[in-house]
Amino acid sequence: MSDLIGEIERDAITELLNIAIGQAAASLSQLVEDEVRLSVPFIDFLTLDQAAERLESEISGADTVAVRQCFSGPFSGDILLLFPEQRSLDLVRHILGENVPLAQLTELEQEALLEVGNIILNACLGSVANQLGMVIESSLPAYLRGRSARILESGAQRPIALGSEGLAMFLHVDFALLNKDINGYLAFMMDIASARHFVEAVRTYLNGRL
Amino acid sequence: MADKTVLLVDDSRVARMMVRKMIEQNRPGWMVVEAVDGEDGIAKFQAAHPDFVIMDVNMPGISGIEAARRIKAGSPDAVISLLTANIQEPLRLQAAELGLGFMSKPARDDALLDFLTVGAP
Repeated sequence: MSDLIGEIERDAITELLNIAIGQAAASLSQLVEDEVRLSVPFIDFLTLDQAAERLESEISGADTVAVRQCFSGPFSGDILLLFPEQRSLDLVRHILGENVPLAQLTELEQEALLEVGNIILNACLGSVANQLGMVIESSLPAYLRGRSARILESGAQRPIALGSEGLAMFLHVDFALLNKDINGYLAFMMDIASARHFVEAVRTYLNGRL
Repeated sequence: MADKTVLLVDDSRVARMMVRKMIEQNRPGWMVVEAVDGEDGIAKFQAAHPDFVIMDVNMPGISGIEAARRIKAGSPDAVISLLTANIQEPLRLQAAELGLGFMSKPARDDALLDFLTVGAP
């Protein structure tokens, strides 16, 4: 895939994502009233199996809850927010407050995670769109629960079209709430055709600035 | 300040709960009417004649922008602000062109109170 993305484009995408995920982290930080630590964005071309394997190791092999949105515009794909299932209720408690009774908290868990996903994923997509000077449309968020492989393979409103080598472009960042022992994962998935359009948009963006 | 009515239009129950709590804490005595989508928002606007409307954008059925446009067509003085996770610049511009306020999610006390004090631009 070295023909698709050069060193300068990789650097630019990393910086673009740093800014976008910083915006998303600021939203999450406001919701949970805690500092959010971010990893360096990871960009790679992986098969769905490799991506699922990587996700499983990041989330320690546990079941995962995810909020997924499809996006479309000059390039299209899926963006996901993932948390280990066993910590998702804690996250909801931090957002809705300690005074909400457990029964109501459990009842609201899915809706709360959908709204968290909606806020964070759109903050990230919106920042990417604003930086590239484009409009990106997004679907309503969908809630998924299960093993990482199932989450990656199902739930998409349209299947990821893999390239001839069976690869798709994955961009992701790990994040952790500093004082609440909650971590999660934000990932973009684009098929190769869309990845080419994305990289082209990044080149255009760079041409206007370098 | 006399008690006022706020119409809150959002398909997310949790989002409505969070904003309702902020209004109740900062404007005790004010009435909050909730609507679950754009069509419901238009109907509740006509029934409740709220002083302020807080409108999500990305909802099932008609969008919050379209719902706001229809409300404004019948009631040009309606005071409406978008409250949305979509922070893209074209949406902000569209809001400004329609005379709508713009608040990004998650709602912040200062932005919300500003809107509930001075209204949309």
